[in-house]
Amino acid sequence: MRILLVEDDAEVGRFVKKGLQEAGHTVEHVPNGREGLFMAASENFDLLVLDRMLPGGIDGVRLVETLRGQGNHTPVLFLSALAGVDERVKGLKAGGDDYLVKPFAFAELLARVEALGRRPAVDAPATRLKIADLELDLLSRTVTRGGKRVDVQPREFRLLEHLMRHAGQVVTRTMLLEKVWDYHFDPQTNVIDVHVSRLRQKLDKGFDKPLIHTVRNAGYMIRAEP
Amino acid sequence: MTPPPHPRPQPATPRPATPPLAVPPPLSSGPRRRGQHPGPLWRLLSSTGFRFALLFAVLFLLAGLAFTGVLWWGTAGALDRQVDAAIRADAMALAERWRDAGDPAVADAINERLALDAENQTLYLLAAPSGQRLAGNLEGLPQGFAPEVQWYGMSLERDGIPGEARLFVLPLPDGSRLAVGRDVEEKLRLRELLTEGLAWSAGVALLFAFAGAALLRRALERRLAPVTATAALIAGGDLTPRVPLSGRDDEFEALGRSMNAMLDRIAHLMEGVRGVSDAIAHDLRTPIARARNRLEEALAEANDPVALQGALERGIADLDNVTRVFQAVLRIAEVEAGARRAAFAPVDLVPLLEDAAELYGATAEERGQTLTTSWPDSLPLTGDRDLLLQALANLLDNAVKFTPEGGSIGLSAALAEDAVTVRVSDQGPGLSTEDRARVGERFFRADTARATPGSGLGLSLVRAVVQLHGGTLWFEEGHGQEATRPGLAVCFRLPLA
Amino acid sequence: MLPRFLLALSVLSFHPRLAFSAELRTVPQDLRYCQELAERLAAQPGGSKEPARSLGEEGLQLCNAGNVRTGVARLRRAMRVAQGR
Repeated sequence: MRILLVEDDAEVGRFVKKGLQEAGHTVEHVPNGREGLFMAASENFDLLVLDRMLPGGIDGVRLVETLRGQGNHTPVLFLSALAGVDERVKGLKAGGDDYLVKPFAFAELLARVEALGRRPAVDAPATRLKIADLELDLLSRTVTRGGKRVDVQPREFRLLEHLMRHAGQVVTRTMLLEKVWDYHFDPQTNVIDVHVSRLRQKLDKGFDKPLIHTVRNAGYMIRAEP
Repeated sequence: MTPPPHPRPQPATPRPATPPLAVPPPLSSGPRRRGQHPGPLWRLLSSTGFRFALLFAVLFLLAGLAFTGVLWWGTAGALDRQVDAAIRADAMALAERWRDAGDPAVADAINERLALDAENQTLYLLAAPSGQRLAGNLEGLPQGFAPEVQWYGMSLERDGIPGEARLFVLPLPDGSRLAVGRDVEEKLRLRELLTEGLAWSAGVALLFAFAGAALLRRALERRLAPVTATAALIAGGDLTPRVPLSGRDDEFEALGRSMNAMLDRIAHLMEGVRGVSDAIAHDLRTPIARARNRLEEALAEANDPVALQGALERGIADLDNVTRVFQAVLRIAEVEAGARRAAFAPVDLVPLLEDAAELYGATAEERGQTLTTSWPDSLPLTGDRDLLLQALANLLDNAVKFTPEGGSIGLSAALAEDAVTVRVSDQGPGLSTEDRARVGERFFRADTARATPGSGLGLSLVRAVVQLHGGTLWFEEGHGQEATRPGLAVCFRLPLA
Repeated sequence: MLPRFLLALSVLSFHPRLAFSAELRTVPQDLRYCQELAERLAAQPGGSKEPARSLGEEGLQLCNAGNVRTGVARLRRAMRVAQGR
């Protein structure tokens, strides 16, 4: 992916750029909103990673508002030290697609970048999702593996659906909490892990090939090959 | 609790609205006074009490003036009008007579009238066109007589005695003139008397006005003095004094009450700021120190890559933990400051309870615990969905942590008349009465809880959330079955509207 | 003091008279006028009745004694009485 990173802190900028490049992306890094707006408006990017507060008169929110006003719909991920709920809402309202609070783990950033960048343009009206021998019927809301029906609870179904829509990508625990449970809060303990491991038990029981993989220090990923 | 091996950028964590270590600006000093007006006169003029009093006095005087004006018009004015009317009627009667019978008849009538004037107040003159006196008791037309002027008010000398006259001069068709008048000296004297009376009463009224104004000002100042004194003490840096309340249910009482409420709020916020700094000193220092030690150790073991990696990972985990505590502290501060009340919306507590039970039920199950739940179909509230779930999550997390394996946890909610009551009950070691009072203080951890991981911030946040929603938090015995584990039930009550 | 000040303030129609120099003068009342009045009284139908007659006499006497003003006043009152007013 071609990513534009607008970040005024040189160290954070360097760290993020290096990490994204190592993950195989092309990254342009500019240190202020003015240049960021210029770049974003004049070149094509798959994703913008913006600091919320930027020097130079144009902050992240202004930048996105301007871009959206020009009909530019490149996905935007905000990075911010402002963690208040209203700040998040402000960022998303302005046209941001995701919001990550500093300090963050790089794995979290990468997972979110890839989730945003590979988002299907319009949610494909698929009625079936399939990974290896695992099938998800979105209409009847049933799960089958190797032709055998697996009984899951509604929440587990949604959890699995989210993982399968992002097959091959890392999905972090926070992303699951936000997308599957739709809450923004600190669960204190590893509640998500418990739910994922339950789901995993149901799916992998009687099969020697696990499908849900734990990605160390990051989250989970569903994929066919081990 | 083992901190998760990666940082969690917590959604909905508090924004550092105020830098946690920011020292509040000194309350005293600073450009509080506008301009420099040291004069006592300025102080008097700029005093609201004085201005109110002045307004009072002016209104009082205006009322007095209006009263005087009406009185004057009704008495002295009426007298004047009466005199004028009599003079005019007399003159018209004489002119009529002249038309009928000429000068002699008028002269006769004048003499007749004079002969009957026992009070010696009438003035008459019939003057020929040449100005010669034909009849009457006036020597001649008045000084400064002008043909076009009919009415004269002028000084009079009657038999050597000074007086005041009102005179009406009527030209007759043949060029002679008829003057009819009255000596109004008596009336003037009456008027003067009236004037003097009014003046005296105006003087007294003015005195009353000023005395009233002064009293009003004194009363205002006296009622405001406690407020001023309190404000001065606060400005001096002591936040403890409050405006003494008089018990009278008036505006000043309301002012004092709202000022006290404001001061309580300020004190509370200051406490919050202090709490944040305490938190940083107390709870962040330890994990930061631990991370630092670990990294230092890693540096020493730099030639063993496996040990190095382990140390670095633990160091990152420690830093993540620091972040979590930091965000929890900021969130508590944010909630306590009431900043999130803007995000309040109608919310049904039941789905939240269901989600919380589902999220933590799995964890409880894993520990062999059973989670029993009960609530009605709907519990409509106004509040912050994420915060309410956070509160439930913290309570359930505690309950799961403190209940032994195989025990049970209760989560129930009920709709009372005007409030929702939520109860989270466990079979843990419980809390002694002394500890119950202290729990909810930031970082307080009961001795019995020392062995269990946790920051001691969970209940603080719960309490802050409950208070933000206008509710109350209390503790009851849980449903533990052993004497050493009576269990703890944390209950809170949220008002419906 | 203050009332005096206010007196001046509130009584707008009040002109204090200064040095006396009258703009209007009456004809002085003299003995002749007393006699004229007495004659007029005598001509009245009720002029000879009491108490008008004695009042008139009293007035004329006062005039003669030099108290013209009082005399005139008494005579005029006699006239009034004589006319039944």
